[in-house]
Amino acid sequence: MSDEDVEAIPPSSFPVMLDETTKEYLFSTDEGTLSKASAETQVPTAHLDIGPEGLSFYNMDLYESQERLDIFTEELPSSRTEDEQFEAMEESNESRPRMEEEEYDLYTAEVSEMTRQYGIWDDKEDMEMGFQTQEPFVMVTQKQEPAVQNFKTWGEEPVKGEPKDRGAGEKRGSIHKTPAVDEGGSMETHQPCYPSEEDEPQSHEQHVGVRQYSEEAFEEEEWKEEVSQPMKASRGDTHIGESTGRWRDVFCMECRIAIRAFDKVFGTHKDHQVTKLSIAAEDTKVEIHKTMCKLEEQIAQMENFASHLEEIFITVEVAVPTVERTEEYTASDPDLKLSASLEFENDAIDFSDVRQMMDSINIVPAPSAPVINPQTPNSATSTSVRVCWSLFSDDTVEYYELYYNPVLEGTTAEENEEQDASMVKVKETYCTVLNLVPNTQYEFWVTALNTTGISPASERAVYMTVPSPPVIKKKVCRSCLSAALIRWESGNTNPVDTYTVELCEISRERSETAVTESIVGIPTYESIIQLLSGQSYLIYVRAVNIGGPSERSDSVIIYTTGTLFHLNEETAHSSLAISEDGFTFMFYGDEYTELNDITFSDNAFSRCVAIMGELIPIRGKHYWELEVEEQTEYRIGVAYEDTQRNGYLGANNTSWCMRHVTTPSRHKYEFLHNGSTPDIRITMHPKRIGVSLDYETGKLAFFNTELSQHIYTYKCHFLHYVHPCFALEKPGALTVHNGIEAPEYITFS
Amino acid sequence: MRFGIYLPPKAEGEKCPVLYWLSGLTCTEQNFITKAGSQQEAAEHGIIIVSPDTSPRGCNIEGEDESWDFGTGAGFYVNATEDLWKINYRMYSYITEELPHLISSNFPADSERMSISGHSMGGHGALICALKNPGKYKCVSAFAPICNPMQCPWGQKAFNGYLGSDKSKWESYDATVLVSTYSGPQLDILIDQGRDDQFLAAGQLLPDNLIAACTEKKIPLVFRLQQGYDHSYYFVCSFISNHVKHHAKYLNA
Repeated sequence: MSDEDVEAIPPSSFPVMLDETTKEYLFSTDEGTLSKASAETQVPTAHLDIGPEGLSFYNMDLYESQERLDIFTEELPSSRTEDEQFEAMEESNESRPRMEEEEYDLYTAEVSEMTRQYGIWDDKEDMEMGFQTQEPFVMVTQKQEPAVQNFKTWGEEPVKGEPKDRGAGEKRGSIHKTPAVDEGGSMETHQPCYPSEEDEPQSHEQHVGVRQYSEEAFEEEEWKEEVSQPMKASRGDTHIGESTGRWRDVFCMECRIAIRAFDKVFGTHKDHQVTKLSIAAEDTKVEIHKTMCKLEEQIAQMENFASHLEEIFITVEVAVPTVERTEEYTASDPDLKLSASLEFENDAIDFSDVRQMMDSINIVPAPSAPVINPQTPNSATSTSVRVCWSLFSDDTVEYYELYYNPVLEGTTAEENEEQDASMVKVKETYCTVLNLVPNTQYEFWVTALNTTGISPASERAVYMTVPSPPVIKKKVCRSCLSAALIRWESGNTNPVDTYTVELCEISRERSETAVTESIVGIPTYESIIQLLSGQSYLIYVRAVNIGGPSERSDSVIIYTTGTLFHLNEETAHSSLAISEDGFTFMFYGDEYTELNDITFSDNAFSRCVAIMGELIPIRGKHYWELEVEEQTEYRIGVAYEDTQRNGYLGANNTSWCMRHVTTPSRHKYEFLHNGSTPDIRITMHPKRIGVSLDYETGKLAFFNTELSQHIYTYKCHFLHYVHPCFALEKPGALTVHNGIEAPEYITFS
Repeated sequence: MRFGIYLPPKAEGEKCPVLYWLSGLTCTEQNFITKAGSQQEAAEHGIIIVSPDTSPRGCNIEGEDESWDFGTGAGFYVNATEDLWKINYRMYSYITEELPHLISSNFPADSERMSISGHSMGGHGALICALKNPGKYKCVSAFAPICNPMQCPWGQKAFNGYLGSDKSKWESYDATVLVSTYSGPQLDILIDQGRDDQFLAAGQLLPDNLIAACTEKKIPLVFRLQQGYDHSYYFVCSFISNHVKHHAKYLNA
């Protein structure tokens, strides 16, 4: 062969008889050929395709495609063609040094282990894959002469004349692990799915590299055949010349049987390629080993491929509607400045190929049980929860089935299981389950499914919906200058854990929704909240359970400009009628009260036609006013919670009140406590009476507000908080005004 | 003429309002100072209290010392018109003009803010000064005042002696009558009366008449009949702080 041999090395070459007498054949693997080749250009330059970047493409098709070992049941169409181009490189494969210097990589070690187990391999560890993984393949070399072992890595300089194995070994490429399994090789990650432009070389490398194993097996044999002179096999010390010809120690490649060397020369196998039997055996072992490696690799690749595909599937599936929406949106001519083109090419992506591929992958095992996550805080609403779970990354899952059941109080676990569970099919690893009942616990479990089967169920996790918002009982809220008492109802049939009260200070600078303060962990249905005086507040309440806080309740507006309380209708004497706004009450007279209307409520006054306001449970000063007619006969003042309901206000030591009655001759004013009163005469009959209560100094004072006139002050010592109280002595009406600021003159009393 | 004056701590730095206290029959300027105990409350509110004498002394008018309820110590806060008395006994002018002028000239007194109060005859005096000078006194109160002198023995004796027998002249010094003709800024009268006051029982004080007149005329009046109290300074002392506070409300407003 000459240096300029541009002829393609014929696909099938015969071993050349070196010596008739010794019957030595020169096989392609023999050293002579190899070394010769090393000195010569083996590159069939006639078939050079100068590709990009000065890369040459060789016709690697040593064998016709049928003869190639078919590992893939279905091959990627694209890779096939490209492989062919690179197959030409095989020809220039010289030695196939698998010497000690080559390093094992983990993958090959595994395979070796396997082969050892299966007894294929004896001790020829050097036969094993000492291939480099680290460097990328050099399928396509720079077109200089490939000095023998010179298949350089991509871009590397040829190492001339070195009988080093590295080059070729690298060139052969290791069993290239799939990116998923790769130990950080410098091999760029590539998707074995759609070979993109960039991916081409590498993927080809990979495939070709893989393929090369099969090639190599053949190559060696081929070269053995080619060499006509006796050459030392690089592999060992097998000498062709030792063939005696007596035994069947020759292996016919074509017929795949052992034959006698004699037969080769003179028999039917004359035209067939032969090789020494031991060599053939070893080659076969190598082949099998390689095949196994390849298979392993392929399995890994396939799995990876499948999961990648699935990811893509899901992504695209999700993206398509987004694309559509965006398309719609852009089509609707928005007033936007976009940096990208508005025109969409919504190519219909043809999934059929991929789907075919997917369907073919049925070696996928059924998935293992998913792991359901505990409830994350603030992920629930009163009618929904967001359930999340995770899976093992190796699993292939088509979709999940999420089951759930409300946890009923008082049932055992078995009874719970017997209930019919609701189920939701979902593709993602999360689901927002709707239409649930507030403040209720639900048990969730999930199974994963793929075409193979269904996973075992995950553990059960309990999620809870947040409660419904509470309802503030506005009619029983009260406030004063420094604080407010808020009361509410739970809003849920089952108990919740705690309540949270939120305050928003209403001011011109702030928006109403800005919460200025939150009080958390309230265990009961009421709370006294300290506030600043002279402000307005919006107050909300939320119910809290392990699922999180509920929505806000309707708000109540609190003004800290004065003391505000409502009349407690439960305490009203049956003859009293209360207005709709709850602050005026009227007494129409006994004759209008039917006997059967009289309700003997424990809490109502029975004799004194009286009514109490709510308790004022906050220390400090309080002030309210009452409006009466000049002729109204009334009793107004304060009383303890437990004041006798069958008594008269002021007649006992649990109540204090100012009383006004008229006699034919004059107005009479009394300031009753414990049944006694000082003798006070007033010349002006107050129509609006201010009442000032000061818990600190123990004073209860009355004023004629129209005159700013102080009328009278009790000096008492209140042992408990008191309720404002009011009564009418004869038919008339009385209106309570509260939540108002106390006038200054009340301090001089 | 002698008078007593109490200056509160506040007067050291600024001008303070003045409460004029008119004492009753037989009193001098000393009674109030020693017996009433008003200083604490006055100090708290920063009020100057001036307590003048109840009549001129040592005038050498015939009969001036004959009785305790006429003449010396019983000036009745009128400007006498009868011959013997008309030169010296001009208590009304003294209280309403001369004394204030003297006080504001010599003491850190705010001449714009003054109020008046008194006991018994002094109560009568306070009432008539306030009623006859609408707007001059920011506030008026009284302890057991002689509300209707024209109708009681004390008053009749005094008016007869100082003003003569023409009752029409008496009217201008009778609080009950003055109320009915009063027109001026709104008053806020506070009257404390001991229930066990012997003079009340004797009909010398007649508060009901005043109350009726005030009711009629819609003049704000709070009248407190205090159980167990008599006419003495123990009674005054018991309720003086209420009154000072009452005055403070208007003097410091």
